[in-house]
Amino acid sequence: MSQRFSFEQEQDFMDKLRELLHSGTDPKQIELHMPYPPHGIEELMGEKESWVRFFSLGGAVTGFLTGLGFASFTALWWPLITGGKPILSLPPYLLIGYILTILFGALATFGGFLLLARMPSVKRMTGPEQFGNEFVIEVEGETP
Amino acid sequence: MNSLDYRNQIETDVLAAMGRPGLKYLAAMGFCALLVLGLLACWGYQIFTGLGVAGITHPVGWGVYITNFVFWVGIAHSGTLISAVLYLFRQPFRSSFNRAAEAMTVVSLLVAGLFPLIHLGRVWNFYYLFPYPNQRLLWVNFKSPLIWDVFAVSTYLTVSCIFFYVGLLPDLAIVRRRATGFTQKVFNILSLGWQGTLRQWKHYNKLYLFLAAFATPLVASVHSIVSWDFAVSIVPGWHTTIFAPYFVAGAIFSGIGMVLTLMIPLRKALKLEQYITLDHFDSICKILLFTSLIIGFTYAFEFALAFYSGHKSEISQYLYRATGHYWPFYAIMVFCNGIFPLVLFKKSLRRNLKFLFVLSIFVNIGMWFERFVIIVASLAKEYQPYSWGTYTPSWVEMGITAGSFGLFFLVYLAFIKALPVLSMTELKEPHQ
Repeated sequence: MSQRFSFEQEQDFMDKLRELLHSGTDPKQIELHMPYPPHGIEELMGEKESWVRFFSLGGAVTGFLTGLGFASFTALWWPLITGGKPILSLPPYLLIGYILTILFGALATFGGFLLLARMPSVKRMTGPEQFGNEFVIEVEGETP
Repeated sequence: MNSLDYRNQIETDVLAAMGRPGLKYLAAMGFCALLVLGLLACWGYQIFTGLGVAGITHPVGWGVYITNFVFWVGIAHSGTLISAVLYLFRQPFRSSFNRAAEAMTVVSLLVAGLFPLIHLGRVWNFYYLFPYPNQRLLWVNFKSPLIWDVFAVSTYLTVSCIFFYVGLLPDLAIVRRRATGFTQKVFNILSLGWQGTLRQWKHYNKLYLFLAAFATPLVASVHSIVSWDFAVSIVPGWHTTIFAPYFVAGAIFSGIGMVLTLMIPLRKALKLEQYITLDHFDSICKILLFTSLIIGFTYAFEFALAFYSGHKSEISQYLYRATGHYWPFYAIMVFCNGIFPLVLFKKSLRRNLKFLFVLSIFVNIGMWFERFVIIVASLAKEYQPYSWGTYTPSWVEMGITAGSFGLFFLVYLAFIKALPVLSMTELKEPHQ
């Protein structure tokens, strides 16, 4: 059995949510649909911080090492002096590392988001349920 | 006010822009399409005949193609400034401009990306730019600023596309909800199953924040790297350490100019006066004024640097810019970029949209000529007097330049009808 509550106003939605949680409803039973995320909603629902940040960090570090490593590897592959500069010329290679930090970081952040938010969802893409501009609370199972 | 009616009204107003196109819109599309056809014809002629049909030759090997490249990359920067930097600084006025500015970034980078290919002449050899080992197992030279440029601009385009798409995601779901038939099916796929759940919002907010953080350094670094295409050489007028900040300020300045050129008519045509207010224009004009001050200061300062260096070629180059063959263009750039925008100190002019539109056209013209003067004048008068020479663009180069503006506005006009021009989700949030 599931219950659905729809609200036009953000304040009413937040009040009802507080009431449900206060009455002992498990946040795992609750599914929310919102036109925008009201301030403080994550704290209220006891959500832990998003893991997207680890994807960002991983992507950025990988990008930096790849850029620096790739530029150094290709220079050592065939050591050829150009412009009178050292074979391993750090400043330009750091620049490649910096650029790939941003590229890999952004791609990994986006990939991490898709993974964590479980998107794209074929089920929701083929037959999405519409909630309009209302704030909706769906409660699965019995409420105390 | 943040009632259900208000939220619905935002959707109705913004999505009205995506309705059936009117005659004026179609006429503008037709005119831009003609310019694009001109571009294709000129480029086709150049490919068929050879690069000799362009005016670039010894000693000026970089002409309007590279001018256009730098101009269009520069235009892109203000989009990222508005969408990423102002997001991190929590400036609410950005939500009126961010979508349109992000679209401008993506489109102008696509146009900019054409010019290195056009400039190559033998465009079928474009893959030489990519990092791969050639038949002698020799890789690209990572010490070359041109390779930095390939990495920087392609990264900028990729990150800008992701940022643009991510910003659109909740709005695509709104379009899906309001559309019917085939359009709904397309937006079903594009919105990836977005339903505004807590899980989606939680990860989305972090995604947007981190993407903004990744995009922010790009505002400074991409045009710095473009400037090093020049500054790393020893050509007089190019070999200066102030080029990176000078180019970045110029990029933001020109980009804000283009935002004004696009948004002032757009606001009126799409009846978005309620969402893009005079206060918003006032705020954005302060950025324009600030960057104009930096540019004006740089124009004076680079002269001082040349004279302070005591280097004859440097001094001669700057005197040549101001008094030589290209002095009218130099005068245009100083007036349009360094002098005329100073009138924005007056508040009433920052809120006068007709005036701002005219000013933005001057800014666009001034910034195009700035790049022309920097590139062409330096090459025309290098160290050896026997190799001095002048450059005049050929009709092929002018046709391709006009076509690039046609292509930019054509794709931008298509964007207006295909996607929401304002971020509806951000406008719904109470602090807006």
